[in-house]
Amino acid sequence: MNVPAELRYTSEHEWVGRDGDDVVRVGITDYAQDALGDVVYVQVPDVGASVEAGQNFGEVESTKSVSEIYAPVAGTVVAVNEALTDSPALLNDDPYGEGWICSIRMSDPGAFETLLDAAAYHALIEG
Amino acid sequence: MTDRRSPLDGVHRRSGAKMASFGGWEMPLEYAGTIAEHLACRQRAAMFDVSHLGTVRVEGRDAYERLQATLTNDLGKIGPGRAQYTHLLDHDGSVLDDIIVWWHRDGQQDGSNEGRTNEQTFDVMPNASNTAGVLDALGGRDITHERAVIAVQGPAARELVATVVPGADEIRRFHVGRVEWRGSELTVAGTGYTGEDGVELAVPVGQAEQLWGALADAGVAPAGLGARDTLRLEAALPLHGHELGSGITPLQAGLSWVVAFDKPTFRGRDALLAERERGVHRHLVGIATVGRRPPRAGCEVLVGGQRVGEITSGNYSPVLEHGIALAFVTPEIVAPSAVDVVVRGSVLSGNVVEIPFVSR
Repeated sequence: MNVPAELRYTSEHEWVGRDGDDVVRVGITDYAQDALGDVVYVQVPDVGASVEAGQNFGEVESTKSVSEIYAPVAGTVVAVNEALTDSPALLNDDPYGEGWICSIRMSDPGAFETLLDAAAYHALIEG
Repeated sequence: MTDRRSPLDGVHRRSGAKMASFGGWEMPLEYAGTIAEHLACRQRAAMFDVSHLGTVRVEGRDAYERLQATLTNDLGKIGPGRAQYTHLLDHDGSVLDDIIVWWHRDGQQDGSNEGRTNEQTFDVMPNASNTAGVLDALGGRDITHERAVIAVQGPAARELVATVVPGADEIRRFHVGRVEWRGSELTVAGTGYTGEDGVELAVPVGQAEQLWGALADAGVAPAGLGARDTLRLEAALPLHGHELGSGITPLQAGLSWVVAFDKPTFRGRDALLAERERGVHRHLVGIATVGRRPPRAGCEVLVGGQRVGEITSGNYSPVLEHGIALAFVTPEIVAPSAVDVVVRGSVLSGNVVEIPFVSR
């Protein structure tokens, strides 16, 4: 499984990447998309929504199951990937790129450093 | 208890198929991905390992009478060399299993009214992989371990099968025959569970991998149980445990054509006659929902805010590119009519539509 070194991760199989000093980009990991199978629908959060860390703020549905998405950090949703509405398979094809889900402006920019690093996430999915 | 493995288990694993537990068997869930496999079946040809469904062989002079006195459909409508869809009911009319019977041609023929007093051979294939229940009801012997079954389905299925097993393509829809292949005998039936034309091939276990490989080389796409489920849903074919099962009768499921009420006896007949008399309290319908979000089993169906029923199977339709579902609803709800489907708190707009959703 592909686990890019520059990203941070959660135990709920989301990745978090820096998109500016206090903005992060969020998606689901390669491991998560592989486990889900073909993604057919993504419920993205609303732009402007304020979220708590760990809050359920979206859903990814495949032909075989539903998986909730949890906010990895507290903050405000500042952008969502509109392309997922018509092309949810982007989550399978390019989970760390075109398949990103949303961007969050962190209420505490230090929260990023508290997330799992690539080595810790790798250990989690291999364990 | 560990899951049983198909005679094709080795080839599935070597091919990198994603495996999953299904009815006590570990079977391929997907190869290239459910949607790609689904579309391969609709556009050209796909093959499924359905060895887990089990085969019970019932033979002898009383085989015909045993099946005829127990199962709902009427074997008198067909004859040797034909296949029939039928049900095994409980005494209360619940569907214990839905079954395909393959009536082999090799029983003794005397030219008289087929088979009633002659040696006959039937292969009884329970879709719920409940061979124990079928053995209990019909006797016979479980020959599941002796064969693998490969279903080849799709508009090009016959053409591609012909390049591997000459003659197998000539077995017409709901017919059964035997075809020689590389020194052994295959049973070939014009049956399937996808809504497409095609054949199912029962092959001795020792040659199963060879046949699977030859079909793959001929261009048939290997597919898993994920695609089998989305295909059967588009075709509105029932799945035991969802549209059939405990408390569900064939009349509720819209399958009264499977029930030969004019036969003097079959298990569950009294209960079904009583239900037919008073009318069903719910019936199965198809619902098309707006948008890609899949409706799912267990979701409530509402009309004007009032609950009218519940979804038994639902998913995204790869061909139609929106949600589709089967649901039990109160009898006054018929196509066409608008309904709402509640998916984890959100409401999807839907319409009761004619089924199948997708037809050849």
